Amino acid sequence: MPAMSVSEKFKKVFLDDKYSVGQERVALRNVGLIDPENIYDYIYNARGYQALAEVLTDMKPEDVVEAVKKSGLRGRGGAGFPTGMKWEFTAKEKSLEKYVVCNADEGDPGAFMDRSAIEGDPHSILEGMLIGGYAVGAQKGIVYIRAEYPLAVERLEKAFCAARKEGFLGENILGSDFSFDVEIRLGAGAFVCGEETALINSIEGKRGMPRPRPPFPASNGVFGKPTLVNNVETWANIGAIFLDGADSFAALGTEKSKGTKVFALAGKINNTGLFEVPMGTTLKEIVYEIGGGIPNGKKLKSVQTGGPSGGCLTEKFLETKIDYESLAAAGSIMGSGGMIVIDEDSCMVNIAKYFLEFTKSESCGKCVPCREGTTRIYETLTRITEGQGEEGDIEKLELLGEIIKKSSLCGLGQSAPNPLLSSIKNFRKEYEEHIYLKRCRAKVCEKLVDYVINDNCVGCGACRRVCPATAIDGTVKAKHYIYSAKCIKCARCFKTCKFNAVVKETGLPE
Amino acid sequence: MSTPKEVLSQKKLKAKEELSAAGFFKPLKIYVGSATCENAAGAKEIMKIFETQAGKKDCRDFYLSKKGCVGRCNLEPTVEVYEEGKKTVLYVKVNEKEAEKIIDKHIKVGK
Repeated sequence: MPAMSVSEKFKKVFLDDKYSVGQERVALRNVGLIDPENIYDYIYNARGYQALAEVLTDMKPEDVVEAVKKSGLRGRGGAGFPTGMKWEFTAKEKSLEKYVVCNADEGDPGAFMDRSAIEGDPHSILEGMLIGGYAVGAQKGIVYIRAEYPLAVERLEKAFCAARKEGFLGENILGSDFSFDVEIRLGAGAFVCGEETALINSIEGKRGMPRPRPPFPASNGVFGKPTLVNNVETWANIGAIFLDGADSFAALGTEKSKGTKVFALAGKINNTGLFEVPMGTTLKEIVYEIGGGIPNGKKLKSVQTGGPSGGCLTEKFLETKIDYESLAAAGSIMGSGGMIVIDEDSCMVNIAKYFLEFTKSESCGKCVPCREGTTRIYETLTRITEGQGEEGDIEKLELLGEIIKKSSLCGLGQSAPNPLLSSIKNFRKEYEEHIYLKRCRAKVCEKLVDYVINDNCVGCGACRRVCPATAIDGTVKAKHYIYSAKCIKCARCFKTCKFNAVVKETGLPE
Repeated sequence: MSTPKEVLSQKKLKAKEELSAAGFFKPLKIYVGSATCENAAGAKEIMKIFETQAGKKDCRDFYLSKKGCVGRCNLEPTVEVYEEGKKTVLYVKVNEKEAEKIIDKHIKVGK
């Protein structure tokens, strides 16, 4: 085989612009380069199952765990727990029956890293799980995937069938003593089931609610047996560690966060899409080089990382090198890799409200702080965006957020206030304008702007007819005007006008 | 007894044969991106267009395959054309018209 790294291969194919230059493909090493439905393509062209064969031939299970520890790989689901440690805990448990689980319950709005990884290269995930099963002494693997990903499920099934046929699954894999098989469990798409204990409950056929930890899944997981739960992206990285060596994996990234991370870039950005960069890449490189900047010459306002569990970063964090620690220090989290770029046309209060609406409805309701707390935050934020904000709201929200973080049972509640707290921290002025001045700088909150008619008006009278408050006056074919004292700010005139003649004004100094 | 490594190298040979039987080593290869996102952007229809070209008299023989999503969401659907000895071409935002152009340029005999 030629000594061309996969990243080089990827760049050779896609070297079209800055988009691919900063990338380093490890977890997604084969995605977009091979046929995901053809096991032979994987075996012949992508060094498929070579890592497994090497592990089974030359390494004892302890050595495998040691190699993963040495690589410095950390959980890619968001929390960043060292993967090697997790493997070691599960391997040390004494039990005849153990499980490895692939967590493919990807629920962040706008995130699709796991879907893409499975749809583009299902065999790498399977190979990772096989190596994991060998290392911890498990015979059974379970992929927990949401039913909303039909194509990913279909490709996984195809991959498993092909692997069984070729002897990569089943009894005595590749002629060794190691036997292993996997099955797929479909989830109904509850966000909380991405939390490992809730996921285990769901696999067991129970309601998807988290359990208190400890006992951790490593000792008491699926059906009470020791269980190793890792995210899709973590599993995808395992093969690379054994193909190219733990050292070359650890050479990528920062001191505490090794390797690469896949991000799904969305929002107000030119190049939306999926990319994989080494840990330690700055936000600036991601937004302006890989992302290609903000469309329509708008200004960057914020970058939201980590989805509903993450926070909103401002421009001053553009030089931040992305790894688990630096993002946490900046008030956000790495999360599973969703990254939403926000420009000046978005209202931060409204964005916090959006995320809280999501966590409120996805909260499983088991513990009070999360169930009641997220609802109260959402109600307060709704009040603020409708012009009913009161003095002291910000302080109450901050206090409530801290309480929820400290007292919730699982990761969902512990991280749910992050979008709120980080946006208060970084955009306090905007909250104050909403509450005290009843003004929305970004012209998003309908009740917090003035509606005026400009010279585009042709006098068609459409706005006058829809106004429920008879606040608009004017004669046919002459410019109309709005009595602001009578206006109830329902925005109907704004939505009705076909001539862009009704505009929103903030009334705030620039 | 053979080691897992040896077993795998046997399988690798078999994989080569299987790929060869499927036409993988043809000098012209066309990859159509087909993840959920690409299908939503219309990749399935594009795939069909290429499928109907296979085996036609005035067309060169080519290997047609799916591939995963490379991550260019704003440019989907994507089609890659590998031709031996030539630079790989990546076509983006491929619609039916564009697909016909690709066929004219790469697949039709004598072009």
